Amino acid sequence: MDILESVKMAVKTLTANKLRSTLTMLGIIIGNASVITMVGVGQGAQRYASGQFESLGPNVLFVIPGSSESRNRTLDMPRTLTLEDAKAIATQVPTVSGVAPQLQTQQAVVYSNRSTSALILGTTPDFSSVRTFDVAKGRFISDLDVQRGTRSVALGPDLAKSLFGTSDPLGQTIRIKNISFQVIGIMEAKGAFLGNNQDDVAYIPLSTMSDQITGNTSPYGTEVTFISIAARDENSVGAAQFQITNLLRLRHKIVTDDDFTVRTQKDALEVVGNVAGALTIMLAAIAGISLFVGGIGIMNIMLVSVRERTQEIGLRKAIGASQDDILVQFIIEAIILAALGGAVGTLIGVGGVTLVSMVSPLKAGVSPAAVIIAVGVSSGIGLFFGVVPARQAAKLDPIVALRSA
Amino acid sequence: MKTIIRFEHVSKVYGSENTEVRALSDVNLTVEAGEYCAIMGPSGSGKSTAMNVIGCLDRPTSGSYYLDGVDVAQLNDHELAHIRNRKIGFVFQQFHLLPQLSAMENVMLPMVYAGIPLPQRQQRATEALTRVGLANRLNNRPNQLSGGQQQRVAIARAIVNQPVLLLADEPTGALDSHTTQEVMAIFAELNASGITVVMVTHESEVARLTRRVVWFRDGQVIHPNLSPTNLAQVTVAAV
Repeated sequence: MDILESVKMAVKTLTANKLRSTLTMLGIIIGNASVITMVGVGQGAQRYASGQFESLGPNVLFVIPGSSESRNRTLDMPRTLTLEDAKAIATQVPTVSGVAPQLQTQQAVVYSNRSTSALILGTTPDFSSVRTFDVAKGRFISDLDVQRGTRSVALGPDLAKSLFGTSDPLGQTIRIKNISFQVIGIMEAKGAFLGNNQDDVAYIPLSTMSDQITGNTSPYGTEVTFISIAARDENSVGAAQFQITNLLRLRHKIVTDDDFTVRTQKDALEVVGNVAGALTIMLAAIAGISLFVGGIGIMNIMLVSVRERTQEIGLRKAIGASQDDILVQFIIEAIILAALGGAVGTLIGVGGVTLVSMVSPLKAGVSPAAVIIAVGVSSGIGLFFGVVPARQAAKLDPIVALRSA
Repeated sequence: MKTIIRFEHVSKVYGSENTEVRALSDVNLTVEAGEYCAIMGPSGSGKSTAMNVIGCLDRPTSGSYYLDGVDVAQLNDHELAHIRNRKIGFVFQQFHLLPQLSAMENVMLPMVYAGIPLPQRQQRATEALTRVGLANRLNNRPNQLSGGQQQRVAIARAIVNQPVLLLADEPTGALDSHTTQEVMAIFAELNASGITVVMVTHESEVARLTRRVVWFRDGQVIHPNLSPTNLAQVTVAAV
């Protein structure tokens, strides 16, 4: 008997009991839908995070306090990085074109009778160019502001809006930690970075920040939360990373373990890739388990089906079906159930992924490879879990099978 | 005349040494082409086992069985399946039609296993169903047919591959006396057209409609060639 006839026969048998066939497929449908959705979402998360780091620009570096090991040991960030470090980098590292130390804290911001909590970010004029934050109106912090420790503030557009509504904030006075600041500029909207709103921020001179808001908290000098650095160009990022590391090791008199980390965009992308890759594997593994359970469901039903259809099997043998014919027939039934379930599950998964990318910032997508693998794997599962019942059917003694009533 | 069935010292033993059951014990039997014979005997006489061996559903433990000149005792599963498909047509007491298939599709089934292309299958199935008087029931499912009609579909299925032997196991066992007559008329007509018919039955009214009765008891043939006409006396004597 040729395969086409076997397929027709299997379709006939499966459609004769639609409810059971559908329920049998359900496990595979759910398994496949979750594989496609999970992998799609995992990859979407990876693309989202990568996109965020790519938006920083390829020549940006960050110096953050502590080594990756020491940061894991304590809840609090180490306070080893200082303004003096930033100045040294700016003056002594030739491959660097801009250095923006940042000292930040969350504080209440008050204008007239409106109050809100915002991120207060003490920095230097370079911040605007290093991180490509542009001024929409007025001006950003100047060198003079930093030298004199003026009480000037530039507002992110969201913060400006929540304090001032539609009225013009320029020249107005707001209070941060009960200290008066004059609004000197409004920034362009920048959007969120990894879920943090970058427009709900108040920028003040770094010196004002350390002297009047946070106080001097580090024994080494004026503490900074981290330092953003722009390398001269994309090709000098590696050199800049090397030079900054050496300079800071000298300054911090380090013998063995670094108390700081210099990160490039490439490093960050690698970290994102690793985390997202692990996440995707984990999600796929969970979904894979449900696919496996679905396969067992198929085997279970097929075993029952062989029991139920003993007479049919006996009859088929009596009229000329060989053991191979029966084997092939039952395996094909299992494969059809699994492959069809796989296809339906894939469609549902694609729907799920589309839904996720519509309601969240994750640009989740379904790769054709994932679809091919999912449908292929579920067909394979049908084959794998179909063999045992099919062998049982093929081995039935036709005499016994025909007499069982 | 061609010999269709030849048993030479056929024995069939079930079970192991201690629990051994001799279902057939050194049976010799010959059925020529064109014969119409009934196999009778009390239950446990070995007639069902003989039927299974004749139908190539079972192999003899010892001895030789020639079906249409071929020694089938030594064939493997694949070859036996082929023989069942091409040389034997089965009719069962319980019809054994597949419920999800129409009359036509049921009749086409043996031809599917024979690898006959679809147009030819349809043509031959239609012919076979017409021959048993069901030309107007081609697309009915078994549950839309009466018992007699179902058995006629089963007969059409049995003859559609033009077998050398039509083998019926209690073919009227599930039918009332009226439809029994109908079905037996079909067997008689098929036999008249040259098909060899062997049926197992315990009903002497049915056996009386055949032309030869083979009587089994205790795994042996005790009357290889009874005349169906004086069956009544012999039956009483034999039992």
